[in-house]
Amino acid sequence: MWGGVFDFLFKYKHWLVFILLEAVSLIGLFSTNGYQKSVYFTTANSIVGYAYSTISSITSYLNLVSVNRDLEAENEKLRIENVTLKTRLKLANVDTLAMGVQSEDYNVVVAQVINFTLHKRANLMTINKGSADGIKPEMGVVCSQGVVGVVYLTSEHYAIVMPLLNVNCRISCCLNKSEYFGTLEWERGDSRSTYATGFPRHTKIQEGELIETNGYSDIFPPGIPIGKVSSIGDSEDGMSYRLKVSLFTNFEKLRDVSVITNYIHTERRELEQSVENKEEI
Amino acid sequence: MPLLKLFIVLSIQVLIVNQIHLFGYITPLFIGYVVISSRKGFFHILLLLLGFFTGLLFDMFSNTAGMAAASMTLIAMAQPSLLRLFAPRDSDDNYRPTIMTLGIFRYWIYSLLCMAVLHVMFYTLDAFSLNDWPLTLLSIIGSSLFASVLCVIAELIVRKRRR
Repeated sequence: MWGGVFDFLFKYKHWLVFILLEAVSLIGLFSTNGYQKSVYFTTANSIVGYAYSTISSITSYLNLVSVNRDLEAENEKLRIENVTLKTRLKLANVDTLAMGVQSEDYNVVVAQVINFTLHKRANLMTINKGSADGIKPEMGVVCSQGVVGVVYLTSEHYAIVMPLLNVNCRISCCLNKSEYFGTLEWERGDSRSTYATGFPRHTKIQEGELIETNGYSDIFPPGIPIGKVSSIGDSEDGMSYRLKVSLFTNFEKLRDVSVITNYIHTERRELEQSVENKEEI
Repeated sequence: MPLLKLFIVLSIQVLIVNQIHLFGYITPLFIGYVVISSRKGFFHILLLLLGFFTGLLFDMFSNTAGMAAASMTLIAMAQPSLLRLFAPRDSDDNYRPTIMTLGIFRYWIYSLLCMAVLHVMFYTLDAFSLNDWPLTLLSIIGSSLFASVLCVIAELIVRKRRR
């Protein structure tokens, strides 16, 4: 009789192994507190954990682009906040009553440059955000290094930016340590530098001095860096200085930019417009 | 040799295929290839153990506690019978199911059947927690199709290297 049983078992041994293995698997699956008992069979064990941390250290490289983009946006917000606070602090030292008046907060929309020319006379740049994201013409565009340009045209999902490297682009600027201001003008050719004109002869200027936005226009808040003075020259009429400014923004490698969306003051603009209209009369 | 294959297939599964969630519910179990590509006369108990441990390793990497082990044991149980349907009657024990021996279409059908067995088991066990059968069905069909195509691609690559 036992011989028959052994024969049977031997004949169907793979079935026995099959049932045994299935039983082991299913007990593992359905046992109520399987996790605590079998930590070795989960990703919590050290070998699998090590394998995964190696994998994630590799795959995290693939995510660097988006991480970078987020950091860029964060950076931009903090920088603008910093500029705002600095301005407020300056005002606070002059007149504490004015503190509340200048409570401007800027919002930025982060965008990527998708098309750009550098070597034309009137270079333009296309970014991948448009009116649907709240972008309108004449908004300021900055990057983590400094000023980029001004929004020129918008469609629903794209916008064309007139960068500093455009002969038609004029942005008012000032010297970091003085109250004097001038205008930025680009000359075709050099994508790393531009010219600042209109600084009066009696201004004390040194090479390496910082040029930044002055906040006189409603495009940029004051204090956003543009570049530094690389050489000092005279204007054509000899009445003012013409400074060569090496730009902080590296346009050749520019990819992530931020558009300052809520700095345009319609009231101010309307008022200035009405004065201009009156002058015409 | 089966161990090297296990290592390569498991790496592909964990590193690449596990990251795929097509339409949110299709994640193929390419590990089935370890069993599917076994030769005809492979000792059945060893095949069962190979399937079981491959599944267990996969479970360790995906926190699926026994689901893949159970499914892989099942496919290891079924593989010799399924292979018999496709292999020529007079083939010997060294007969390997490949696109060379079966032809690309028959190989695809064979791997699809095997993968269907694997995925039915896997996603049915999964459904005990999911409890949403249309989605389970879609997962089974989609993943089986996807996994069988992966098997064909793997065979094409292996064939190129053999040459």
